[in-house]
Amino acid sequence: MENSDLNGANGIDFVVLKNVSKYYGTFRALDNVSFTIKEGEIFGYIGPNGAGKTTTMKILVDLISDFQGEISIGGHQIPKERNEIHRLLGYLPQNVAFQDWRTVNHALTTFGRLSGLSLQKVEDSIPKILDLLALSDVRHKKISQLSGGMIQKVGLAQALLHEPKFLVLDEPLGGLDPLSRHQFKDIVLKLRNKGTTILFSSHILSDVQDVADRIGIISRGKIRQIGTLNELKSNLQPQNIVEVLLSYVTDKWVEFKSINGVKSVEQPSPGRILVYLAEGFDEAEVIDALVQAVARLKIKVRGITLLSPSLDEIYLNYVQESETT
Amino acid sequence: MSLALLSIDELRGFYKSKVMLFLWVGLPIIAILFRFVQVSTTGQDISFTVISTLIVSSLAGTLASVMLAVSIINEKNRHVYELFLIRPLKRRNILFSKYLSVYLCVAIASLISVLVGIVTDFIIGGTLSPAVFDSLGQSLAISFSMIAIACAAGVLIGVASPSVLVGAILVIYGGNQISVIPLLPTLLNTSNATLITIALAVVTAAALLAGAVALFERKQF
Repeated sequence: MENSDLNGANGIDFVVLKNVSKYYGTFRALDNVSFTIKEGEIFGYIGPNGAGKTTTMKILVDLISDFQGEISIGGHQIPKERNEIHRLLGYLPQNVAFQDWRTVNHALTTFGRLSGLSLQKVEDSIPKILDLLALSDVRHKKISQLSGGMIQKVGLAQALLHEPKFLVLDEPLGGLDPLSRHQFKDIVLKLRNKGTTILFSSHILSDVQDVADRIGIISRGKIRQIGTLNELKSNLQPQNIVEVLLSYVTDKWVEFKSINGVKSVEQPSPGRILVYLAEGFDEAEVIDALVQAVARLKIKVRGITLLSPSLDEIYLNYVQESETT
Repeated sequence: MSLALLSIDELRGFYKSKVMLFLWVGLPIIAILFRFVQVSTTGQDISFTVISTLIVSSLAGTLASVMLAVSIINEKNRHVYELFLIRPLKRRNILFSKYLSVYLCVAIASLISVLVGIVTDFIIGGTLSPAVFDSLGQSLAISFSMIAIACAAGVLIGVASPSVLVGAILVIYGGNQISVIPLLPTLLNTSNATLITIALAVVTAAALLAGAVALFERKQF
């Protein structure tokens, strides 16, 4: 489910952060953070604990206003035009909390009304959102009696109820079971396709990889990398490498050098061939030609694998790099 | 709009969490118990209306301060306000709605206590002394004024305190003491004591609330 084509994004910068810095006393939580999120784009925001993800999100939703730099959302400046921005926002905090006495229905009614929906609209929307999140059975239950995962879903329900244009989700998948996570990712993708702009942080990198159009990696308050997953991969490893594992040792592999799109070939260990792909060629076509060459040369192989770094490897690379600088 | 919504929401919360029950039933019961203790220990069968007004004055202010301070500190520390603050409403309305709903609940509890006093006096004595009604207006003015100041002090302490424990200490140190300001005109035998009492309450409560709002507006969540 990689989304490098920005399905819902229309190219307009909906969220713009320019040189945003935030200090807690002498501690610099954010250091000249700049990035943009396009309208209808899912921006995955990843980084280790204390990297500055939640601080960035709290600044964006106007819970923290004493920062340096410039931010605009939907063309409105924070904090000058906070009322306009609040009308665009949906927010799920990392640790969502409700007053103990509230039922699910009551919480959603209150937050829907405070978001500017009419009572009729709220009453129409609540069953739909509860159905979408499989919460219909607990509509009249007290939130304090629900499990952590269910409370997280109620948190998501209040964030979605008023159909915000900009959705900020801080670690939204924490505490959710695998099925709920899958449902959640489906919902996020559907919202993106409807044009909702989404900022989404997570420690679970595979979840970010599944839904994010672009990914920002933050560490120690600084943005380390921004781009689509493919861009991050190519920044990290400019050349893609195909590993061919031979069933027996032969020197026929030298023929791979003649394939159009192959830059070089080497055998680091007997029976293990690394084929370096040249830039500017279609990766799939070169691999296809390689497979055909294997068949033509009657080479028996145990496997042909594209050695591409996973998001975990990309993340670790950039975060570890930042730790040493 | 948001102030009305938030205030109704708070009142619903008090109803759901049985705060109203404990206030509206509890305070009159304490007043009745206090009367019988008073009778059995001193043998003086004084007007219950006077006793209930005294009880209201001493207890209701403390209740109001504690309710507001504890609820604000608790909700602040649990990050409950985050979901409110990201919506298009004025931050100050969160505090005003809490103030109004607690004031209303405690004022009604006080009124019920005084009414119970009047009814008890009538049942026991068969008649009501005109003196009771003469002092009733001033007593209620003092009570409601004390509650108004105590509520404002509770809001300020709630916003400023980092923990429930600190909040409780501050309520006992300051909230209780400042709420006796409306008693001064009566104690000093000033003319127009009732009017001055109300004016003092309005000014003091407004100043305390303004301080609370200023702090809350600047607060980083």
